[in-house]
Amino acid sequence: MIKFHPTEQHLVNYVTGDLTPAMLMMVGAHVDMCPVCQEHVRDIETELANKVLFASIPQIETSSADLDMLEQIMAQPPQAGSTPRPSLPSYEISLEGQRFKLPPTLGRTQQHIGDWQKMFGQLWRAPIQVGGDDVLTLLYMDKHTKVPEHTHKGREATLVLNGVFNDETSDYRDGDFMLLDDSVKHTPQTRDHDCLIISALDAPLQFTSGLSRLLNPFSSLFFK
Amino acid sequence: MQAVIETRKRNPMSSAQCDDAEHAAKLLALVASEQSRQAFSELFRFFAPRLKAYATRQFGNDQTASDLVQETMTNVWNKAHLFNAEKGSAATWIFTIARNIRFDFLRKNKHRQHDLSADDLWPVLDDASFVTDDEATLDDTVLMQQLALYCEQLPPAQRDVIRAIYIEGRSQQEVADAFDVPLGTIKSRTRLALQKLKELMISDD
Repeated sequence: MIKFHPTEQHLVNYVTGDLTPAMLMMVGAHVDMCPVCQEHVRDIETELANKVLFASIPQIETSSADLDMLEQIMAQPPQAGSTPRPSLPSYEISLEGQRFKLPPTLGRTQQHIGDWQKMFGQLWRAPIQVGGDDVLTLLYMDKHTKVPEHTHKGREATLVLNGVFNDETSDYRDGDFMLLDDSVKHTPQTRDHDCLIISALDAPLQFTSGLSRLLNPFSSLFFK
Repeated sequence: MQAVIETRKRNPMSSAQCDDAEHAAKLLALVASEQSRQAFSELFRFFAPRLKAYATRQFGNDQTASDLVQETMTNVWNKAHLFNAEKGSAATWIFTIARNIRFDFLRKNKHRQHDLSADDLWPVLDDASFVTDDEATLDDTVLMQQLALYCEQLPPAQRDVIRAIYIEGRSQQEVADAFDVPLGTIKSRTRLALQKLKELMISDD
């Protein structure tokens, strides 16, 4: 059962395409995993379609240019259509011999995913290049891994793809979507499960406690 | 000045308008199954000016707005067989096609290497998602046995297509070639047959 969802405004902006590329990927992947938000997205699409296409237009006239266009379109032979693929492709990514299922939004854009890099501890990252200024990253935390307490100079969107992690506030499981800003300090960690997440950052992390502050000069590790 | 042609006269084939969801879906089905020019013209006359008004607001440029209308309506003409009434209305389908085209137009100007395409984000016109949805519901063996009985109640043209695809395991393209009809016809026969089978199943419960 997914507990954390994008806001209604995120879903509306996802439907119209008016989010950063990284956030479109984040929200799209959540929607792939979340039947509740799929339903919302369908409702928003219907509502927007009605607004855009059934709005009263004072004078609906078909000009000769329009009729030319109509003829031009219908002059094309009906398209044969591509041969249907035999089955829904299943998308996976592997790390250290483990395989993880990817939501279709990530699977369709798999060529944008870079190589895994090992960071400190049992934390791995793989960048996803989708254009735009946000940094989109796959992160893998093995069991009993802790990211030092940090806050966010900008905002951090996080989606759990597989597994469980927790911070001071809650547990986060498959499909949970969180948006954090600089009002929140937290220490994400895993316990008996590993965790694969995807995160979008619009500014580097800021580590806030004890020795981990020494990481700040290197926080671009999380941001490139 | 270009001549303006009065289009308010009603299409003789129907009393309904495209803002009636069922009517619009029927027109799309006619475009898919027989490439009906009359059905497409009616869709075009209704949706093209509305898409144009939307695109003009979005782009503030008449030429770009026209390009969006043309690409959207071309997809409607070519890909009507991918419309699935169970997933939403005709208007919603057309809107999502226009949304994808707008998204790609907005990105085309930027020429960035890693840019996402609209089809990656929203595979509105993906053949696979349409076909496999139907196959997934037919995957169950018990269901297949029941369906074999129901198949006998289908009109012969639909029954032949279902038999070729689901019993002989041929692709829709192979069936289209064998029967010498357009792929769109096979797809719509498949869709109609599956709808009919579903009705039979529900009424049998």
